[in-house]
Amino acid sequence: MSVRSQGTTLFSAILILVGTTVVVQLWLLTVSTEALLSGQTKTLIPAAAGSSLLLLINACLLRYVYRFDHDVERESQE
Amino acid sequence: MTVEKKKCATCAKAPKWKQDFPIEWEGDHYVTRRELVKFMTLGSALLAGANWIAAVAGSLIHRGSHAERYIGAASALERTGSLLFRYPTDQDPCIAVRTPEGKLVAYSQVCTHLSCAVVYSKAENALVCPCHKGVFNIDGGSPVAGPPMRPLPRVKIEQRGDQLFATELEN
Repeated sequence: MSVRSQGTTLFSAILILVGTTVVVQLWLLTVSTEALLSGQTKTLIPAAAGSSLLLLINACLLRYVYRFDHDVERESQE
Repeated sequence: MTVEKKKCATCAKAPKWKQDFPIEWEGDHYVTRRELVKFMTLGSALLAGANWIAAVAGSLIHRGSHAERYIGAASALERTGSLLFRYPTDQDPCIAVRTPEGKLVAYSQVCTHLSCAVVYSKAENALVCPCHKGVFNIDGGSPVAGPPMRPLPRVKIEQRGDQLFATELEN
């Protein structure tokens, strides 16, 4: 499989993963807002921690994309 | 038939933000998957930030509910069976009840369904919402009948002689 088609498949998968985590984060924010307004403050910290974990996953995926591009660029220069 | 795409002469010279929102059709370009991943990660960071703001706001609101407040005389509660008071602020109605077993309990009077005021029913030994027939257990404030799904927030009460004090609001 060529690098280009590998990259296309990888980036499509990464895009789907990132999209899914963003939807989960949106749901967490909705739950947090509802809990805050109803005074149920116990759920707020776990929801924020979960959202931060998802952000970390997204950041790792983005870093992977940049590193992939960087490696491909370096290989083409060699 | 082939369609030739014209080049926009002024678009490349424009600053980055103008390139993202071009006026001319020729200046428009497709967003790559890399750009979309970058943009969505930025959105993810904003969502995580908003979640932490909600968490901090929640802890600040909760911290303000620990102030002690005099709510009335215990003798008045014995006469009527229930006592209405405001805690932690003047905008938060609450109800204290002496159960048939002699236990002193207090809850927020705001129904968790649609915020009507709940009242104590001696016949049912429960807190009842007259609006939609919601019923809350007197021992824990949990909903036992009707539309409410969440329990009533509990207020901790301390009795010192004949005086009653609200000390904490538990969510």
